Amino acid sequence: MATNSKFRVLYRQFLFRLMDVEMLASSAQGDSSSLLGQFGALLVFGSVLLAWVAVAVGGQIWRHGSLADVWGAERFLISLTMLAVGVFALLNWDATFPDRSDVLVLSPLPIRGRTLFAAKIAAAAAALALTVVALNCISAPAWALSLAPPGATASARWRFVAAFWIALFAAGAFIFCLVLGVQAAAAQLPRRWYLRLSPILQIGGLILFLGVFFFQTTATGWQEWLPSYWFTGLLSELSGVFHARAHPLMAPLAERAVAALSIAIAVAGGAFLLSYLRTMRKIVEEPDSAPMRRGGLRLPRFGTQPQTALAHFAIRSLFRSRRHRVILAFYLGGGFALTFVYLGIVMDLAHLSWTGLLRQQNVPVMGASYLILLAAWAGARMVFALPLDLRANWLFRLTPPCTGVASLSAVRRAMLTVTVLPVAFGTGVLLLAFWHWTALAQHLVVLVLIGSILTDLSLREFRKIPFTCTYLPGKSKVHMVFWFGIIPLVFLVHKLAELEDGLMDSAAGYGAMVAVLVAGTWAARRAANHDAAENALEVQFEETSPDELLTLGLNG
Amino acid sequence: MTLELHHVTKRFTGVLAVDNVSFHARAGEITGYLGPNGSGKSTTMKMITGLIQSTDGEIYFDGQSIRSDPMGFKQRMGYVPEEPHLYQHLSGLEYLTMVAQLRDLPAKPTAERIDGLLRLLSLHSDRHVPISSYSKGMRQKVLLSAALLHNPDLILLDEPFSGLDVATSLVLRSLIQELAARGKVVLFSSHELETVERISSHVVILHHGRVVADDSIEHLRTLMSLPTLEEIFSQLAVEQDTAAVSRDIADLIRA
Repeated sequence: MATNSKFRVLYRQFLFRLMDVEMLASSAQGDSSSLLGQFGALLVFGSVLLAWVAVAVGGQIWRHGSLADVWGAERFLISLTMLAVGVFALLNWDATFPDRSDVLVLSPLPIRGRTLFAAKIAAAAAALALTVVALNCISAPAWALSLAPPGATASARWRFVAAFWIALFAAGAFIFCLVLGVQAAAAQLPRRWYLRLSPILQIGGLILFLGVFFFQTTATGWQEWLPSYWFTGLLSELSGVFHARAHPLMAPLAERAVAALSIAIAVAGGAFLLSYLRTMRKIVEEPDSAPMRRGGLRLPRFGTQPQTALAHFAIRSLFRSRRHRVILAFYLGGGFALTFVYLGIVMDLAHLSWTGLLRQQNVPVMGASYLILLAAWAGARMVFALPLDLRANWLFRLTPPCTGVASLSAVRRAMLTVTVLPVAFGTGVLLLAFWHWTALAQHLVVLVLIGSILTDLSLREFRKIPFTCTYLPGKSKVHMVFWFGIIPLVFLVHKLAELEDGLMDSAAGYGAMVAVLVAGTWAARRAANHDAAENALEVQFEETSPDELLTLGLNG
Repeated sequence: MTLELHHVTKRFTGVLAVDNVSFHARAGEITGYLGPNGSGKSTTMKMITGLIQSTDGEIYFDGQSIRSDPMGFKQRMGYVPEEPHLYQHLSGLEYLTMVAQLRDLPAKPTAERIDGLLRLLSLHSDRHVPISSYSKGMRQKVLLSAALLHNPDLILLDEPFSGLDVATSLVLRSLIQELAARGKVVLFSSHELETVERISSHVVILHHGRVVADDSIEHLRTLMSLPTLEEIFSQLAVEQDTAAVSRDIADLIRA
């Protein structure tokens, strides 16, 4: 087979393998295209929304705003693209290098290393290009046309559209190469260190990208160090429409963008090539997992023996599955970024400094702890529903597990252990040095009770053993609602923090609040237990789609 | 104590995988369950374990239908599946501990039992290593330990010798005999006819989902006037002229 046809075969394989079909429900019939289609549709939907905003307010920016507002809009689109590409690159961390089965299957075949390397890179690049195109297919032309200065000729407008695309692809390529470079540099370490370091880098990257995306608007004085500003400069310089007024300001930024992109490509390419050649050998020679500490992860008992087994399984799976940890980190990263933005806004309004913020009992810190709790809860609930290794589920099908209320209780304890306890512990440690211990204890009690209510509410109708049930494309819409409803949620959290802060001053008020929360905890637990008892014999291993047809029940 | 299959049938969307299979496996006996690839052996095993439901027929253990008390039945059964699918992020020790907890076995004596099994099967030094790093044979040993942890009355072994080294295979062979001698019902499938011939008292041979032989090896030898189980199996379940197929393959790759 010619090298070109080998490349094509490998490229197609690697591109479609970016989606993990093994976690899909059997009703999805292993069809990753629907899942891929959903992600694509989601990005296109975002593009439509952004285009609608462009049509609605794009023209107004020139009429009522300044050049800085135009650049602000451009920078937002560039930042959004960089965020999408960055998250995509981090989520596909493992797909960039060949895995053990790739090496074992492909190495004996007469395929040159460079063909394999080129196919992997091409597949990742194609997926990234598709992400950039899907996210910007409608919004980029719409924004470019509406942000072009009034009176610009048709050719100038189309040049602006072209410049927009070039800047978006360049920004995406920069982030992709940045991730690749970091990964390739880490791969120079001994493989077991690399395996240990990878999840930390992924989680750190997610928090960094989300934090920069949300926080850059409030950054003053160091915009010149933010890549989104560089590529906005590049766009401005390429478009030519703002040349006379913008050149002195934008030219240095554009130069920085070109230099940064060139360095990123060179460093990533070189380091990646080097690490690729080393990694291929290491993958075969060394196990594909980091060895655990002697004795493993020591965990306490969680009730009866089967309950302990379920809870330990859930916690260990979460800590040891890189894919699940990254998804949880995505939620936590989003939560931290949102918390920083929230704190920034509220501190501005209340004229508080960072030190002033920590030194006293106040609403922003309480609100921040609620936001982190919400992010941890939503992330944990999401990953608990995603499978880990479906073929190994035969054990739970065969070995009589605890079911019904007992099983729910084990899952609840595991979820509280990985969400509410760390958030409460972290809040406690952070604030112990600053707050009076009684105020801190009062806040922690409220935090734990709210966490308990959320946990029970999210476990209603949960008839699964965490990490064992297949995933059905379409379920992600609940989580999209969570992310789209985030602004009202932040407002609600702030109001709750205000209420708590007000009630903590009076013993009666605080007592009443705790009493209401305890009643809420009891009611939520009772409702969840009731559902679990009704489905006591069923453990769900297979996600099914709801019936398409409804019967009217008219037969009497 | 007997495992009884009565007219068990399994149909997968039009494909008849197991067709009206009936046989008995008795306590103290080792029943070898044989057949070519795709003959329905593993499907039968999975129906006995309850992993899949039969389309027709009934399975009884100790006189009771396994459907009447599936949980009680599973507590008395140990199973080694054909493929060593395990939760690879757990260590061997963690996996066995989890199995013991799921079976609600008392913690302290079970921990000692797990430790003993790990030592006897030469897994003790690797007990904290994730299963993803284990060889096929090591995974098979973990599965075997998990199947025996609760001292089951019925032991179902689907290709238990797969991937095992010679020493462990010999241990397993003796162990199967020892367990049968202690009154367990042992049903095991294998492609290693020599091993089956050595340790089984009774064989069931399956072909295209149907039982073509259900007897003691001794009786089959006499009945068919054939000296070895391999020849009996070839006559009953191998349709191909193996020499001709070999020649055809060699010719094909030369062309």
